[in-house]
Amino acid sequence: MRKYLNVFKISFAQEFAYRLNFIMWRVRNVLQILVLFFLWTTVFSDQGRVIFGYDKAKILTYVFGVLIVRALVFSARAVDVAGEISKGDLTILLLKPINYFRYWLTRDFSSKVLNLGFAVVEIAILFPLLKPAIFLQTNGYSLLGFAISLTIAVLLFFTILMATNFVAFWAPQVGWGAQFFVIVVMSDFLAGSLFPLDILPAVVQKVLLFTPFPYLIFFPIQVYLGKLTGMAMWSGIVISLFWLAVLSILTNKIWRRGLLVYRAEGR
Amino acid sequence: MKTAIKYFKVWWMMSRNSFMQMFAQRFGAIFLLIVKVLRFIFYLSFIYFLLKGTETLAGYNINQTIFFFLTFSLVDTVSQFFFREVYRFRPMIVTGSFDLVLAKPISPLFRSLMGGADILDLITIPPLIIAVYLIGSSLHPSGVETVYFLLLFVNGLLIATAFHIAVISLGIITLEIDHTVMIYRDLTSLGRFPVDIYREPLRGFLTFLVPVGIMVTLPAKALMGLVNLQAVVLSFTLSLVLIFLSIKFWNFALTKYSSASS
Amino acid sequence: MEKTILVDHLVKNFEVTEKTPGLMGAFSTLFSPKKKVIHALKDISLSVGKGELVGFIGPNGAGKTTTLKILSGLLFPTAGVTQVLGFDPWERRTDFLKKISLVMGQKNQLWWDLPAIDTFELNRAIYEIPTRVYKESLDELVTLLDVGKLLNIQVRRLSLGQRMRLELVAALLHQPEILFLDEPTIGLDLVAQEKMRNFIYEYNRKHQATILLTSHNMDDLMDLARRVIVIDKGRIIFDGILEELVARFAKEKIIKVSLSKEADLKKFDTIGKVKRVAFPEIVLSVPRTTVAVAASEILQNFPVEDLTIEEVAIEDIIRKVFRGEAPLRKRR
Repeated sequence: MRKYLNVFKISFAQEFAYRLNFIMWRVRNVLQILVLFFLWTTVFSDQGRVIFGYDKAKILTYVFGVLIVRALVFSARAVDVAGEISKGDLTILLLKPINYFRYWLTRDFSSKVLNLGFAVVEIAILFPLLKPAIFLQTNGYSLLGFAISLTIAVLLFFTILMATNFVAFWAPQVGWGAQFFVIVVMSDFLAGSLFPLDILPAVVQKVLLFTPFPYLIFFPIQVYLGKLTGMAMWSGIVISLFWLAVLSILTNKIWRRGLLVYRAEGR
Repeated sequence: MKTAIKYFKVWWMMSRNSFMQMFAQRFGAIFLLIVKVLRFIFYLSFIYFLLKGTETLAGYNINQTIFFFLTFSLVDTVSQFFFREVYRFRPMIVTGSFDLVLAKPISPLFRSLMGGADILDLITIPPLIIAVYLIGSSLHPSGVETVYFLLLFVNGLLIATAFHIAVISLGIITLEIDHTVMIYRDLTSLGRFPVDIYREPLRGFLTFLVPVGIMVTLPAKALMGLVNLQAVVLSFTLSLVLIFLSIKFWNFALTKYSSASS
Repeated sequence: MEKTILVDHLVKNFEVTEKTPGLMGAFSTLFSPKKKVIHALKDISLSVGKGELVGFIGPNGAGKTTTLKILSGLLFPTAGVTQVLGFDPWERRTDFLKKISLVMGQKNQLWWDLPAIDTFELNRAIYEIPTRVYKESLDELVTLLDVGKLLNIQVRRLSLGQRMRLELVAALLHQPEILFLDEPTIGLDLVAQEKMRNFIYEYNRKHQATILLTSHNMDDLMDLARRVIVIDKGRIIFDGILEELVARFAKEKIIKVSLSKEADLKKFDTIGKVKRVAFPEIVLSVPRTTVAVAASEILQNFPVEDLTIEEVAIEDIIRKVFRGEAPLRKRR
């Protein structure tokens, strides 16, 4: 609908008002990827080596995959929701004929587009410099699975983020802390952005795969790399869909209860 | 001597204030603490499981690699303990409270740098020290090597000090301090792993220019007997030069200070 | 006739956790929170017709803003019926939201780092305003509020007064049928206040928009609202024409005397209640029924330069109402 296109545009324009901020953020992202790149290159300095089920090309693809997938899945403006609720600015949006969730999802999209664009440029710059061996997937099914799992990942993260931000309805001061906790814990470790979850003992992996977090980064990349195919891939997708459904319902419930408690204050 | 006592007293009281303030916002503080601890555990697990599979990293075994990480963590945490106030510098400038700092008969550099010791780190530092001790001793260092380690550890803190001074000086001139601090943190976090893993020219950059290598990797290497006296002396020279330069920079920045209008 | 706004026996309670200070208090609050109920609205009933301009007055915490928030769908009523334009506000239907607007003093909807026109365009899309209507509306508002030159400047660079005018434009672009104004003149200087009042008056006249405003400022009410609803401690204690409030309550009138030369001021005490002495001015209040007699007595016994007879100031009337000195029966 037109109104959401407009939200997208205005959100995008807003990001440009904080150019320096944004560039610094991208620089930090790149630095984090560089560390991992060098680390793994050192590990795989022996060309033919294969560990944890990865060869050099696949592990480096994983690292750069994290750069891209993170830009797509984790870039969000909805981190502002907690502040909006605690400051009472939520009132303004409640008065408008617009759906709160769709509004923020659209704003997230503008952030994702921007970050993804930059991530692509960063890769374009880094590749000629570092000349990493990269694995390019050609299997149609894997690519399809990748696309599907990415879409679910985006929505899943959004749902978790909104639910965490809604803590602000009941504890306004804690809102930012809660989401900092959730995002840092999730993104660095449980989602697999620091390292591929394969290096963990099989038991731990199995347990983690029953939580929603690995489906944000680790799972989609695994599908892309072809390490999960056929039944394994589809059952993973089903689990992630299950989580998406459950968390969506939960988030909605929290939203409704939050509204009942909201006092529209903060003048 | 009297000045030293005065400064210590002031530091003690500022730290107490900082503690009470933190307590007032305890939930946020507890979250930060939990996040810090979790991150540490995650990285540690990463290194542990990684080395379980690869056995060595750039020629170092699992204990050595973990030791590099622990040294990094200790330097990082101790400097954050002392210099937490740097993260509150920008609001001070923006709101104009810095004027009040300048008007007091105490060094504004001291106040801006060390005015807010982070009490939570008193919880995180002792376990770290224990860990450093345990893993360190498993590497069976000699007496000399241990001394070199301690010296270079202190040296690392000196470099960190120089960095923080530079950061707040920059914060007076531009307002972009938040990012400067974070960039500093990101660069030093490259020191989680031994600098050896980085290729030139990055490695050279990290060893000499933004001397993360000297700050973090070198002390650990000293314990492993890879460092000679010459290197220790050179490192101290470097850090003292850096401190000297950073203070000069700070004084320069003060001349550029234009106090914020209300 | 369908009433635009209908409120029947509205009750609103807030549950608040009482925090005990100190460390022990913090722990006990965590485990057995002490809850207190605030009865913000105790039993409110009112109805407003299309195009009416109604003023709510009451002391802080009386329930004026709470009423507006319930009518605009922000707060959930504890009990009672609320109907606005035939809708239940709490459902916040799109069609409902397109027809209302709530303007609260310090709340900004303009995007801070972008020029106001960008927010206007956004609102155009959100409210689905047809192009022709949008253009007309924008032109009219921009002219009325004199903000033509400000449209393309980053909002953050504008002064408070300029921003508030632009906020008003943003709030009215979609030509709402109902306008809720919460303290519209707060923080404005005298000139700006007057301009705001003129604007509200014009808007009500031109668009037949129903306007509900809350205010502390008596001038707002005197200039704008013919109908006044007085709220105190969650109840309506008066609902009717302003003059009626004055007439019903004001048992007294004010006589202002200006003396041409010194005189024995003690004698004024026998004529009426002396309110203020600032030579050569004396202000006293006299029962309404005997004001003519009192006036002639003054003229006969004192060296009078000037004498005027006035109504008691509205502020004083209201203050007395709130202090319970004037028991008014609520008018249906």
